Amino acid sequence: MFGVGNMSEEQKDHKKENFEPKIVGFLCNWCSYAGADLAGTSRIQYPPNIRIIRVMCSGSVDSMYILRALLEGADGVFIGGCHPGDCHYIDGNYKARRRMVLLENILGTLGLEKERVWLRWISASEGQKFADTMKEMTEAVRKLGPNPIAKHWNL
Amino acid sequence: MREDEEKMTHKVLKVKNNDVVESTNDFLRQLLSTEKIQALLVPQNTPSKKVAFPVLISDSKKLHADIIAPVLPTSTATIVSKITKVAPPSKPVAVVMRPCQIRALIELAKLNQANLSNIVIIGVDCFGTFPFNTYTEFPEKQKPTQFLLETWTKKSDDAEKYLRSACRICKDPIPTNADIILGFYGADVQKEIFVEAYSEVGKNILKDLPLEEEKEGKIREKAVKEIREEKAKKRAAFLKEKEDIKGIDKISEFFDKCVNCHNCRQACPICYCKECLFDSSVFDAEAYKFLRRAEIKGLFKMPNDALLFQLGRMNHMILSCVECGLCEQACPNNIPLMDVFIPTAESAQKEFDYHPGKDAKQKIPMIVYREDEFLEVGEK
Repeated sequence: MFGVGNMSEEQKDHKKENFEPKIVGFLCNWCSYAGADLAGTSRIQYPPNIRIIRVMCSGSVDSMYILRALLEGADGVFIGGCHPGDCHYIDGNYKARRRMVLLENILGTLGLEKERVWLRWISASEGQKFADTMKEMTEAVRKLGPNPIAKHWNL
Repeated sequence: MREDEEKMTHKVLKVKNNDVVESTNDFLRQLLSTEKIQALLVPQNTPSKKVAFPVLISDSKKLHADIIAPVLPTSTATIVSKITKVAPPSKPVAVVMRPCQIRALIELAKLNQANLSNIVIIGVDCFGTFPFNTYTEFPEKQKPTQFLLETWTKKSDDAEKYLRSACRICKDPIPTNADIILGFYGADVQKEIFVEAYSEVGKNILKDLPLEEEKEGKIREKAVKEIREEKAKKRAAFLKEKEDIKGIDKISEFFDKCVNCHNCRQACPICYCKECLFDSSVFDAEAYKFLRRAEIKGLFKMPNDALLFQLGRMNHMILSCVECGLCEQACPNNIPLMDVFIPTAESAQKEFDYHPGKDAKQKIPMIVYREDEFLEVGEK
């Protein structure tokens, strides 16, 4: 899953000290994905914990995708969209924000920290911001520890 | 459609021979024969007398309805959606509905799944309903309707134990957004029931019917206020009681009995999608993907993704959830779905200050936005 292949015993045991968070990222084609691209082409270093999935718009990220990732054991989910006002589809990011509010309620029922799901605005020119955000999120999720759902097999 | 809270006509229907059901039937027959109404959708007992289903009646002689019958076999809102979605009727059709179903219908209309032109909503004060099987196999000697009316007249709690849990903690047992309301709360049902119009259409329909003027207007207001307060109290206690069904351990245990049959979705008035994501090929995968998932956790339960279905469905419909409890009634394994859905609906709807079915003009939260809202989500 998430292109990791076989996991080491260490990862399976979820030892906190060696814990490397797995983060699934949904990046909008027009801004954040291009921002990530810029981080790469500019050779800015950032933690390799994110697995990026390109989507056309942050507004197209149905909460289902996020729930699926979390139920399957992802430790964090990142959604990157254009800055407010800059959406290629005019208002997709505003709608994404509303969806996040709804999702947070469902995460509350599920008892999962809402800090595991990040929504951030990163433009195509913000390679540095993308790298910084990745560092910040990886450390924040590392602090939260492994996703408690990961050990549940009866879902 | 009811435009505001202003009552336009308030009258009473005299109950003859102490028979409420037959008196309301007389009223409905007269309504149908005025020809202002082309047909009526109203619950009527099936020939076996086992259960009352909504029937579409055009011949007033064939009308033997039971508008009190405490059973909700299926979503009436979905039926109105079915009748009106392709093209609404050319002449008015009156639909007799419970408050929760009117709320659901308003939501369906907002979702473009029902067309309310030429639909006259007759809302009925709700005493609550029994689970389907309780109704069909009712143990008392009387029929459920008689039993319910009697306990209600005696002001006893005997019927409470039979009610569906959704009805016990009903959000609002008084119809809103109806053109006409048949009101029981506050009435001495052995003598009369209230008939009120809340729209021009409703007023026009009531004009020619043999109704009497209401003498004391305050009785009903007081009774409505009382029942709403009583239900709100019960609902608050319920929310408090279910507070701790949270967290992955409790939630996974809660849905343990789910066989992923999707009956709840089928019964839900809000779940209208012709092709549900969960029936699509999105979840079909090659064997190696299943095996890899097993490998990651060492094992996993089949049929897979039951919790994903529950949470996904919740995410898609919870803002419009009218708390009718049909999902719970449909569950073959008796999962008390309301225990999780109502608290989540409460918190999610509060977030957007959204009240499903209450204000027909309030847009569904997921299709609108403001630039300056929820700035704490995402970043400033």
